[in-house]
Amino acid sequence: MTGFGRRLAGKLAMGLVMVWAVATFTFFLVRALPGNPGDVQYENYILMGMSPGQAQARVNAVYGFTSHEPLPRQYGGYLWQLAQGNLGQSTSYSGVPVAHIIGSALPWTVIPVLSGLIVSFLIGVAAGVVAAVKRSSRWGGLLSLSGSVVAGVPTFVVALLLLLVFHTEWHLLPFGGTSDYEAGWNAPYVGSVIEHAVLPVCTYALLSYGGWLLAMKSSVISVLGDDFILAAELRGITPVTRARYIGRNAILPLFTVLALSFGLMFGGSIFIENTFDYPGLGSLLLKAIGTRDYTLMSGAFLLITVAVIAANILADLCYTLIDPRVRR
Amino acid sequence: MSRPKTLVAAVAAAVALTASSACSGSAKKINGGGSDGNVYTSIDANNPITAGAPMNPFNASPNTFLGYDQMQLGFDKKNPADPNDFFPGLAASWTATDTGLTVQLQPNAKWSDGTPVTLADIKTSVAVAYTQGLAGPSAATANPSAGSLEVSGVKDLGGGKIEFDEQPGVKNLYFTRLALSLTIVSDKVYGSQVPADVWTTIAAAQGPDANAAKAAITKLTTEGKALAAFAPAKDVSAGPFVIDHIDPGSAVMNRNPYFYDVKKIAPKQVVVRHFTGNEQIWSYMKAGELDSAPFTAMPTNVLNQVLGAGYTRMDSVSFVGASIAFNEKVAPFDKTAVRQALAYVIDRDAVTKVGEPVGGVPNAATTGLIKAQSDTFLSADQSAALNPYKPDPAKAGALLQGAGFKKDSSGQWHLPDGSAWKITLQAVNGFSDWISASAVIANELTGFGIPTTAAVTTDFATYKKEMGAGKYAFGWWLVALGPQTDKAYNRLYGSDDGFVYTNGQITHNDSGWEHTPETYAVNGQTVATGPLTAQLSVTPVADQKPIIAQLAAATNQELPVIQIWDYTRVQFTLNKRFTNFPKTGDEALLANPPGVWMMQGYVQNK
Repeated sequence: MTGFGRRLAGKLAMGLVMVWAVATFTFFLVRALPGNPGDVQYENYILMGMSPGQAQARVNAVYGFTSHEPLPRQYGGYLWQLAQGNLGQSTSYSGVPVAHIIGSALPWTVIPVLSGLIVSFLIGVAAGVVAAVKRSSRWGGLLSLSGSVVAGVPTFVVALLLLLVFHTEWHLLPFGGTSDYEAGWNAPYVGSVIEHAVLPVCTYALLSYGGWLLAMKSSVISVLGDDFILAAELRGITPVTRARYIGRNAILPLFTVLALSFGLMFGGSIFIENTFDYPGLGSLLLKAIGTRDYTLMSGAFLLITVAVIAANILADLCYTLIDPRVRR
Repeated sequence: MSRPKTLVAAVAAAVALTASSACSGSAKKINGGGSDGNVYTSIDANNPITAGAPMNPFNASPNTFLGYDQMQLGFDKKNPADPNDFFPGLAASWTATDTGLTVQLQPNAKWSDGTPVTLADIKTSVAVAYTQGLAGPSAATANPSAGSLEVSGVKDLGGGKIEFDEQPGVKNLYFTRLALSLTIVSDKVYGSQVPADVWTTIAAAQGPDANAAKAAITKLTTEGKALAAFAPAKDVSAGPFVIDHIDPGSAVMNRNPYFYDVKKIAPKQVVVRHFTGNEQIWSYMKAGELDSAPFTAMPTNVLNQVLGAGYTRMDSVSFVGASIAFNEKVAPFDKTAVRQALAYVIDRDAVTKVGEPVGGVPNAATTGLIKAQSDTFLSADQSAALNPYKPDPAKAGALLQGAGFKKDSSGQWHLPDGSAWKITLQAVNGFSDWISASAVIANELTGFGIPTTAAVTTDFATYKKEMGAGKYAFGWWLVALGPQTDKAYNRLYGSDDGFVYTNGQITHNDSGWEHTPETYAVNGQTVATGPLTAQLSVTPVADQKPIIAQLAAATNQELPVIQIWDYTRVQFTLNKRFTNFPKTGDEALLANPPGVWMMQGYVQNK
């Protein structure tokens, strides 16, 4: 086995152990939450006019997917099913497979969060380089200030502000849902999806931009002081080459954070989805917690965990490619 | 080819493919958003829509919509004087008989695939109801005298007449109501999901052999699980609309050309939008995107913005009230005088003004019912005799002193044992009206000399569990759930208060969390609250007045809860794209979803 193959096998084995550990932790954690899936719905049925007997019978029927077996046996069954790729049946959707429910919401988290992440990373990193190189100028100061300000503003403030200005007041951008057209591979649908994603993406990008800018600025300043830059400058390299040297070295610490962000994006952004009524995984997870849908909660948490671990492994492996020092 | 060139070629190919696909598909606009007068846009408060959920009304989170594509034989008018008063649905008319109910189906009742609604559909729908706990002994297990829908058979009498036979020996006052409320589904779609021997199982569940009945109920419930998870490939509806498709942000329904009264249905399409909370509904309204909107608890400034966007407000009775309940096992709430004193301290007008300024009316007098309902049953004299507990700190002080409480020099009240009296008022996260109102009540009680903390539980599931476990002595609770009076009083004197049914007899134990006494002494009479509540379920509405008079007087005197406000069902309509909406005062219509308004000839294109 080559060195790379050994590293990959080792990382995958470690990843599997971490997935098992997190799956076990979340399995017991969600079941330790007070209340049970039928409680909330029982009250709803009572409010809808059912007698307590009817409401209880209805809860028993539609929430019969909640296991009443001893916890260790439930856990064994869960792991066995998980090993076969089965995330179980949702209780709040009366037995619909969890994978199907998550799969339906997944694209509507990935589209806005991934777009927002890429946009904020590109702008933030570019602005960070400028802010570092021009740190003594007015522009550098303004850029740094903008990063500090947006990084400190709460999510809901930005989201509500954008909603108020661009939807409620100016009627420029749509709110709610994912498209105004029936799903299909055609220009109006794709255009409408993009239009509906603009506000959530801008919110995410605005909120993340500050973090990337400040991190990149700090990293660039640190690289600027390195001896090899001074040596290169003394050798008389062109400004473009100098910028490439700085950029390639300064971006390394951000690479790991970016990789983790790719993994974390599967958790959605609950505030953003909620404010813009965007039906992604964040909203689904919130509903699952409210209804105590253990299997759906476990499934969603597991997805986030696997995504973060996979992103981490990928980052580690890629790091060896982009940073020769790590290979030693 | 070098690597960069390969990459460029691949990207170019992908773009070309995208462009050609983009041009080849046909686009169908679904969310009118105000541009198309034929598209009716609304929100179903009971169904926020999840893209992956099935179009199956028996699922716990279904993508079906009552009054649009989900049909019943009739629709409840929520008439407190007659719980069996319904609008026609798939049933054009009906007659209650000694043995059950005879229904005349709509002459042109058809499914959206053009086939007629038949006996097989009705029979399958009843069988499905048995598997879902909506009918039969499984629904009545907890309270046999409350009665569930006990259908022993469904027969075709010819000419579209169908007979529902009530199980021999059972006489349920609300048989008509329960039968008309059944969701009717297509036998062609759901028949295959119901086992062939289901009626044999139902007969066994109704039979005299207790063990066989229990096994049959278990079998029905097990069969019901698969049915609840069933996902039909397409919607087949007998209602005015049929689902075209569900996307993550909305459900799109087209007018059903085979609907029995399609000429009354003006919108060509209905779009029911997804929502995650009240704020999203308000945002849609502020932008004028909804043609009608369901009730949401809203502050006054939001109301003004909504009205400013052109909406018309429609108020109707909502058979539910907000109250503060006591756990009488916790001293000093076991003392009637203490509960009465607190009622004199709380200014319900001021609390309602903050907590539920738009959708609430301060409760007139605690009776266990909302005022609109108590007015139906109580005479003018009986209503006048009720104590309204108008704010009166002097009376509150006198009651507390009479119970042995003392006030110190700083104005703080002390319990009879000398310790300082402090109260925690519990509300639930997400119930913004309760949380706002808690702050006002806490201020009022603290100002009176009882330091009060307003606490919030993380969510309702936790709240219910902890309340059941006796963790809260003083907390918010929904009461007066009508319009059936037995259900309203069951909220106070039912299982939460330890009244349980054993072998058809009601007994009182310590299993509930309210812990009221088994009986009250009121006006020299003994009032047995639990048995009287049970009696209501088997007493015709016309004969209920004497029972309700006793229960209302007892509740008013003993205050197991302090009713704070009666909810008002506030809905909004926009007369921009459609007109002829129901108005305030059309109580029966406003108790139903817009699909039912349309069936009755309301909602026309402007």
